[in-house]
Amino acid sequence: MQYEILARPAASAARLTLQAGESITCEVGAMIAMSSGFNVETTTRNKGGGGGIVKGLKRMFAGENLFLNHFTATQPNQTLIIGPGLLGDIIHYPMRGGTLIVQGSSWLASATGIDIDATWQGLGKALFSGESMFWVKCSGAGDLFLNSFGAIYPVDVTGQYVVDTGHIVAFEDSLEFRIGKASKSLVGSFLGGEGLVCKFSGQGRLYCQSHNPPSFGKLLGPKLKPR
Amino acid sequence: MIEFTCPSCQKHYRVNDELAGKTAKCKQCGGTFQVPMPVVPAEVDEYAVSSAPVAASVQASAAPIAAAVVDGRGTSAILSGNTGNFEYEISQRPDFALVTVKMQQGQKVFAEPSAMASMTPSVTLKAGFKGGLGRTIGRALGGESLIINTFTADQGPGEVTFAAGAPGDAAYYRLQGNTLYVQRGAFMLHSEGVDLTGKWQGAKGFFSGEGLVLLKASGTGDIFFNSYGAILQVDVTDQYIVDTGYIVAFEDTLQYRVTILPGLRAGGKLKSFFFGGEGLVCQFSGQGKVWVQTRHVHSFLSWVHPFRPASKN
Repeated sequence: MQYEILARPAASAARLTLQAGESITCEVGAMIAMSSGFNVETTTRNKGGGGGIVKGLKRMFAGENLFLNHFTATQPNQTLIIGPGLLGDIIHYPMRGGTLIVQGSSWLASATGIDIDATWQGLGKALFSGESMFWVKCSGAGDLFLNSFGAIYPVDVTGQYVVDTGHIVAFEDSLEFRIGKASKSLVGSFLGGEGLVCKFSGQGRLYCQSHNPPSFGKLLGPKLKPR
Repeated sequence: MIEFTCPSCQKHYRVNDELAGKTAKCKQCGGTFQVPMPVVPAEVDEYAVSSAPVAASVQASAAPIAAAVVDGRGTSAILSGNTGNFEYEISQRPDFALVTVKMQQGQKVFAEPSAMASMTPSVTLKAGFKGGLGRTIGRALGGESLIINTFTADQGPGEVTFAAGAPGDAAYYRLQGNTLYVQRGAFMLHSEGVDLTGKWQGAKGFFSGEGLVLLKASGTGDIFFNSYGAILQVDVTDQYIVDTGYIVAFEDTLQYRVTILPGLRAGGKLKSFFFGGEGLVCQFSGQGKVWVQTRHVHSFLSWVHPFRPASKN
């Protein structure tokens, strides 16, 4: 599969070129346009593999859809253009057998060699991190595409690193995080508007996003008519 | 900007492009050098997305993870040229596209109301109905305003800058007696010689959920249209499928039909239609160009919806 990411960073879209027999699994609703030589299948499971309804439901809790769309090229050189719903960037992450933990709505598409599952981060983290209860756990080898709200930036963590809640896109599972206060005193943390933060430790790569979707939503919401 | 280092002391400089080739003196070591020519990035025409694979595509390689991002430089290039009627420039692409047209004395352009951002005082603006009542109603059905603003450069040559209501891209198309269909709301402005009407699309339009009507632009002249997100141009040579919400415009040499994703109808795969989220697509066939936008206002609206306050009753 060849890929190209166009119109970065705000209106980004990924153009994928697949050869006959190759397939890619995408987030539901990600398809913008495509050549006619694709077979499209909607399932609750990973392509050709296990999973099924339980994994699907877990994925739903992780902020993704219960269903996955599998696009399989039936002819050579078929192009598929995919993009996320909100304004933001797309990155390509080549997986080589490791595991990447992805924030619920940041998973866009992955090659068939990647197993997608939801992972539980613990109740405390779920309640206080401002992220969803489950995260999407990607493992295996192949091309993985992630999207962000706003720009995306990588951080190589060695030791410790602090990220405000809502700004995590993905991290390698060699990293661990716990919830902590932004400043030494709890009052100070909240007055500073940072509240609780995610404290990462270990060695590995972390991807952050410049903007935090709930912050933007809370800014817009009160100005709109009640639903 | 040109970036270079002093050949003798390695001091780093950033200077304006117009200084290229000039001889200058280093502020640090006093040595003289010639400012190098700006490095022009290799022009990869990513604006034109063809149905065939593009040689410039970067292969998913074993490069370091951080660098495995391809720059979509083509989508941010300034588009400019001479339409035959006037000079135009589309700048600040793809997120905040501005369309500037330079008019000769007496020339006119017709634009969607509130599309004008700024203009020279030599241009006068007149709001009004154009092309009679029938046309006007046709346009209204097409999701465009009843009123079309006429900009006339009657006090001498002038310049008008237009921008769309939503942040996004803009594109230019030259009509040469043929017809272009423009998605509802995407019309920005056109020159003299272009006839703009709403066209009833029947059930095709109904099922696409994007309004009943596409605007039909025909004649000989220039038309500019805008999008939410970037615009990608696709040259269709046989068949191509676009999600109905992402169509901006297409040439009338293409046949189209609104359908559920092909391959889903057979074999009881209707599940994809109901749960797959890709719902309705537009299947184009024939030869011609389609312009596709990379974002969709409806996705944004449905995302904002849960943040709205709950109504009191």
